[in-house]
Amino acid sequence: MSVASAPTERVPGPIPALAGIGLRFPHHQAVIERRPAVAWFEVHSENYMGGGAPLRYLEAIRSDYPLSLHGVGLSLGRVDGLDADHLDRIVRLAARIEPGLVSEHLSWSISDGDYLGDLLPLPLTEEALDVVCDNVDRFQQALGRQILVENPSSYLRYRHSTIAESEFLVVVARRTGCGILCDVNNIFVSAANHGLDAHAYLAALPPAEVKELHLAGHTVKQLSDGAELRIDDHGSHVEPAVWALFRQAVLRFGARPTLIEWDSNIPALDVLVEQADQASVILLQPHESRTNVDAA
Amino acid sequence: MSTLREIQRAVARSIRSPDNGEALRHIADDMIAAADRLAIYRNNAAATLVGALRIAYPAVEKLVGAEFFEGAASIFIAQHPPRTAYLNDYGAELADFLGAFPAAAELAYLPDVARLEWAVSVALNAPDVPALAPAALVGLAASEHDRVRFVPHPSVRLLSLHYQADVIWRAVLGGDDAALAAIDLTGEPLWLVVHRGSEGVAVRRLTQEEARLTAMLCSGSALSEAMPERDSAVFVALLADHLAQGRFAAFATCDPDRAANGHGD
Repeated sequence: MSVASAPTERVPGPIPALAGIGLRFPHHQAVIERRPAVAWFEVHSENYMGGGAPLRYLEAIRSDYPLSLHGVGLSLGRVDGLDADHLDRIVRLAARIEPGLVSEHLSWSISDGDYLGDLLPLPLTEEALDVVCDNVDRFQQALGRQILVENPSSYLRYRHSTIAESEFLVVVARRTGCGILCDVNNIFVSAANHGLDAHAYLAALPPAEVKELHLAGHTVKQLSDGAELRIDDHGSHVEPAVWALFRQAVLRFGARPTLIEWDSNIPALDVLVEQADQASVILLQPHESRTNVDAA
Repeated sequence: MSTLREIQRAVARSIRSPDNGEALRHIADDMIAAADRLAIYRNNAAATLVGALRIAYPAVEKLVGAEFFEGAASIFIAQHPPRTAYLNDYGAELADFLGAFPAAAELAYLPDVARLEWAVSVALNAPDVPALAPAALVGLAASEHDRVRFVPHPSVRLLSLHYQADVIWRAVLGGDDAALAAIDLTGEPLWLVVHRGSEGVAVRRLTQEEARLTAMLCSGSALSEAMPERDSAVFVALLADHLAQGRFAAFATCDPDRAANGHGD
């Protein structure tokens, strides 16, 4: 007998093809009190793996909004297979929250059992492809559902890489049946950091596999030699150039659930709602017939 | 060609130690130097892990200052890298680390404040398990009382300390400078029980005898083992408080012979 098993009223779980907000602790209370007009929320799974207040807030919010669980710690690129304890924590959280979507990153964060504290890019090789596919398979089996895998922002590439990241994601999706979470800001940031073409990246992703989009702000870091790196710090408004790329993404993929992420210098909830409204305006504009084809 | 495991090991080492350039040969070095690219990850990783420790140890940070805390945390992280991506579970060893950290030697009470903060953090994040309702014991026959064994709530932690860590902790987090100035910083034994109840995390002082009894009850001793003379007023009041505050999650009545012989499970 446990409190967790008590039946609760749930709104329908599926995440609509509208804009949602990345929910962070400072906004728990405001969301419960004000019930903002936001279509859905996404949370970092790792923030709700214990009991107590965070989970109570999440359950209260879940009774009014669809929720998506977005992981940052499972390390899909881990060569030793997934951490069984961490996987179990996600599975239990998903059973309790009944999320509309579950996602993780195309990255690694654990080496020899040590967690590094960041999402690192993988060498894009056939070996890494096998590792990621095995881990995605195990994750989906444990959850009993499809997951989405997100393209990371990256600041480095490996000499060994033989596969374009977009192609790598597409192969993972084809082999495992997972979907793709296309982070438009990450594409922009990575393309700028590596001198690649963001539009070519979008063009390489098959619309039917793309189930969610992410948007966020980033900053530009000046290096000592005058060069620049774009840093995906989720600490500001979405940049005009990223909004432009988002419009391209919506034209190509059709309307998809779209998340506004803001993780550092977190502003008032209203600022996030305003960013989400901007995204919704673009999502609701009439676009190519592709959406209708997908929906049919 | 290096395997994925080899590349990840090299990158992990380079992220943990700036002097280690082993990963650089794997990283494309184009318009931006590979070392600059790698440094972004090193900074992000450090910020995440120091941030996790900062969340668990706010009073320690206030006592030593942000800069000292960050320096000490960085050394701690290098010595005790997290073994889990669930960062609420990270940082248990910080109190012992601070106790052996020469730069903090003058703050003899600091490790005890850290021990209290870790217990509070564990209590905050403990799994949701309903507390044992005192009414559940009502139906027990008097003859069964000796044989009752309790299961502590997963948020319960018992602390045996040498400094007035609870007073320091409250004064520091409350920004109460007058209380801080009045604190007796000479060592004096202190026993605390920390748990998460319906009103949040609670920290309660125990006497040495109460701490001994609580430790026995929380380790699954039968009532007859914890307190052969159970009519002691101290014991009855303590048991009533533990039950009322929700420090137990369940109970069982063990085999009579074993309880009489005083053997635990």
